Amino acid sequence: MTVEAVPPGPVDLDAVDLSDRDWWAGPPSVRYATFAALRRERPFAFFAEPELPGIPVGPGYRAVTRYADLEAISSQPAIFCSGRGAVSIPDVPAELNEFYGSLISMDDPRHAKIRRIVSKAFTPRVLEQLIDQVSAVVDDVLTRARRTAEAQHGAIDVVTDIAAPIPLRVICDMMGVPEEARETVLAQSNVILSGGDPELIEDENDPVSAFLLAGMELAGLMERLAAERLEHPRSDLTTALVTTEVDGERLSQQEISSFFILLLVAGNETTRNAICQGVLALHEHPDQRALWAADPGLDRTAVEEVVRWTSPVTWMRRTATRDGEVNGHRFRAGDKFLLLYAAANRDPAVFRDPEVLDLARDPNPHVGFGSRGPHFCLGAHLARRELAVTFRALFDQLPDLEVTGEPDRLRSSFVNGLKRLPARLGGGR
Amino acid sequence: MRIEADRDLCVGSGTCEFLAADVFQVGEDGVVRVLRPQPGQAAAAVRDAVAQCPTGALGLADW
Repeated sequence: MTVEAVPPGPVDLDAVDLSDRDWWAGPPSVRYATFAALRRERPFAFFAEPELPGIPVGPGYRAVTRYADLEAISSQPAIFCSGRGAVSIPDVPAELNEFYGSLISMDDPRHAKIRRIVSKAFTPRVLEQLIDQVSAVVDDVLTRARRTAEAQHGAIDVVTDIAAPIPLRVICDMMGVPEEARETVLAQSNVILSGGDPELIEDENDPVSAFLLAGMELAGLMERLAAERLEHPRSDLTTALVTTEVDGERLSQQEISSFFILLLVAGNETTRNAICQGVLALHEHPDQRALWAADPGLDRTAVEEVVRWTSPVTWMRRTATRDGEVNGHRFRAGDKFLLLYAAANRDPAVFRDPEVLDLARDPNPHVGFGSRGPHFCLGAHLARRELAVTFRALFDQLPDLEVTGEPDRLRSSFVNGLKRLPARLGGGR
Repeated sequence: MRIEADRDLCVGSGTCEFLAADVFQVGEDGVVRVLRPQPGQAAAAVRDAVAQCPTGALGLADW
């Protein structure tokens, strides 16, 4: 086991602002030291909301950093709802709701009914049958990465050449998105989960327009596919979305579009970040990397530990539907809570030596796929498969993969993303 | 022991199928089916599955 670099000195919590995008691009050691201090000293710390041009500033939010508090809130969806917005701190403006008001920001019973349309496509049994397809995608991506390296004196980028194309191709295959549309899917999901990172959107001062355009682009793709599938049904998820009835009715265009966008974006970005952050973690912990590479028997626990360690989705939001008290904290109807999975995943009350990457950790009740409650990650079993296949293939096919530079971190609080991770194949220079 | 499943609470997360594939299956309707209500030898895996169900849709009754 390897111990993380010693965290920086005491954290001045009064100087911390979780709404500051730039803070999230800073070093992870500072981030995790801050989470630790919040867990110890201010488990329901209050923060003012980030200012987004064109959106009224809301009342602020509580950052939930302790595992037990996060679980208590997540497991009581009637009291702490998702329907007022789960993926953004401000309430979602009406014009964006058409594209982003999907089941992730919906409550039961509607949420459960819609989720069940696709849940059968994401079960362990069904995904078992997909494993050959996933392996074929991974083999092809790694072969191309090798070729790219040969053409560039060994240099590749872990994000662009490995981590991004694998989940993109897997989810697009499942959805039935044609080859020629996949670059669009990648580009638009980058915008949607940019967190407003100025490198990824045209005008830093107008992220809402960028999100709107990205949503329109993907919804347009959905409409074309929907029309095709209604005429010629296939066995893909898109066909299920457009043909299944809930309560005797087909889904509305808005529900279909937002669900389509959710599946594409969530299927893409989360696994991408687990892969590239996982490669980085193994680079920083070479002894753990060697253990895993030598022992496929570690795949099961190692994948869970990579998800705990990287926490690809940093938070989801819940909103109180009434006044009450949770674990000693009194709250009012309308109060917003940010469930910081990345903080709960290093809570020493649950994880022994939480700052240690231990690929054999077992049990590992991490909340990297969400905590208890109806919104537990739909794609968890798919992500597990993709990660196990990818890392095993990396060890076998690219054993010479070596990270050569600093990661370029996404300036987003919502996903723990990397934009670039320079690496080389072939050793030497 | 006997397994009880609440089909209204189930969202088909597949956690139970992941932990005890012989006993649970998410059906075509996206909701859990209990393949073997009296799991016998799979008891330990079933207890895990019941404990870890994210929506608390599974329970055990003494038989």
